[in-house]
Amino acid sequence: MPKTKFFSVIVTFLVCYLFWILITWSLNIEELIAGAVVSLLVALFASRFFIHTGKMRMANPIRLFSLIWYCLVIFMEELAKANWDMAKRVFSRGPNINPGIVKVPVDVHSEYGLSMLANSITMTPGTITMDIVEEDGRNYFYIHWIDVADGRPEEAGEIIKGRMEKWTRRIWE
Amino acid sequence: MLILRILIDVLLVGGCFFALAGTLGVLRMPDSFSRMQASTNIPTFGLLGIVLAALLYAIFMEHNAAMAVKVLIIGGFVLLTNPIVGNTLSRAAYKYGIRPKKPMVQDDYGRDEADER
Repeated sequence: MPKTKFFSVIVTFLVCYLFWILITWSLNIEELIAGAVVSLLVALFASRFFIHTGKMRMANPIRLFSLIWYCLVIFMEELAKANWDMAKRVFSRGPNINPGIVKVPVDVHSEYGLSMLANSITMTPGTITMDIVEEDGRNYFYIHWIDVADGRPEEAGEIIKGRMEKWTRRIWE
Repeated sequence: MLILRILIDVLLVGGCFFALAGTLGVLRMPDSFSRMQASTNIPTFGLLGIVLAALLYAIFMEHNAAMAVKVLIIGGFVLLTNPIVGNTLSRAAYKYGIRPKKPMVQDDYGRDEADER
């Protein structure tokens, strides 16, 4: 698909160039030319890892704003709760942990949504996504959990993912 | 100005507190997976507090936009790359055969891998 490839190279180039300008923070003509050359090289080699489909999902303003809202509010709340919980565990007397690996079903189908949810789960202290598998058309996460409160897959998923899964679906599907 | 100074100091101390919690966790937890869990404290809230403090300092004390943008980019990239490392490290450790001394409460990953063999 040459058209999708061209499109993805352009988008990757623009993102790389934006970061170049932000980091150098100068509008010197030499810096701009060097940045363009480097960004173009990077875009040619890395675009196939960066963009897989030609759908412009983030051009929809509702999706873009819900992504920003998710990052700044929903995710921060989950992060605060988990961080505080983890700090309490560390400072408590004796090993106050109960670790295990649970398998949790996930109702997200798009590639970007899956990776965003998996990385959100890994980032909250207390849970790490270890692997993603697909069985019979449904995706499952293997999650290492520091305190297994419930071993059943559905209930464990409800506790771990909580609101994050709902928001991921809203943003990416 | 004094209020701003106090806010920056509070954010710095908060970030340091969570970084301390993460470091102590790495030392105190009994097995490698739990150590990894505790260390996630450092790049999330530890980093966030310090980045926010640096951002406020750059904007209101130094009046330096370049510094503020750089601080933001550093924070963003650490937040983006940290979970990927955590995921890869934990899976690699598990596949290499590292298990906690005290058996885990539940081990679905090991169970399903045994089924495949």
